[in-house]
Amino acid sequence: MADTKLKIFDYDKAEIGEELGSYEYTLTQEMVDAFRSSVEDPEAAFPTLGVKHDATAFAMVYDDPIGTVNAGNQVEFFNPPIVGKKISVTGRIADKYLRRDKPYIVIEATAIDEDGRLLEKLSTYQLKKPDELGKKWHPEQK
Amino acid sequence: MASRTEIKPGETIPTVTKAITEKSILEFESTGILDRENIHNNPELAAKRLGTTYTLASGRMSIAFASESLRRFFGPDVFNHTGTVNLKFLRPVKAGDTITVTGAVSGTEETEEGTKVSVDLFCDNQDGNRTAVGTGTAVIR
Repeated sequence: MADTKLKIFDYDKAEIGEELGSYEYTLTQEMVDAFRSSVEDPEAAFPTLGVKHDATAFAMVYDDPIGTVNAGNQVEFFNPPIVGKKISVTGRIADKYLRRDKPYIVIEATAIDEDGRLLEKLSTYQLKKPDELGKKWHPEQK
Repeated sequence: MASRTEIKPGETIPTVTKAITEKSILEFESTGILDRENIHNNPELAAKRLGTTYTLASGRMSIAFASESLRRFFGPDVFNHTGTVNLKFLRPVKAGDTITVTGAVSGTEETEEGTKVSVDLFCDNQDGNRTAVGTGTAVIR
């Protein structure tokens, strides 16, 4: 797992194509059980969704004091991960744009296991202005 | 479960309904490998960053719910190896909410790998408000 000093995230300096953290972890039965319990699906095959591969890759590189709102996810499933296998994840910033004057980035991650099986590709559309959520849904609390 | 080999246009996917609780939100977060506070497990941080009085359920929980519906529709042998889910989140989901996933086949496309089936996906809360919308796909041979 990465053990480097985190950079403070600066939207203006973020670059499309920028590599995020690469890391490895071993999938445990406890992780599978927690995930399946949380979504009440005993046959759920991708506990990796709970690991949040792309967001974790981002967090391996950046400290983001402003935070983010998840505006959308896109996931492709290739092979279910296997308990006890090491999973390798690589992440990057896939896109960056303004929409209605609000800043977004798209982060993505690809996961393979120790046998080289492609497991999952995951992307997240992050709104890097999280207080917009409160303004929209709870304006009385401003 | 046997995987599907025939799909009819307009065919509906199994409805999946899930109750969101503080426990389920925290349990989902506990799956991760980083032990960090975030807007899903720390109410103070959620208030500071979002301006909410509650923590949010991760949008990825809705991805998991939609995935369950699609897996039950296509069968695990198909969906777990060719499936995709793409959701846009429209409003916050929190403890106390009940989320229902529905959807129907919107079209098919012949590809080199087989027939790619597209499904429109909808997530609604207990008040009938839409929390997410999107599409799912899988390839049947």
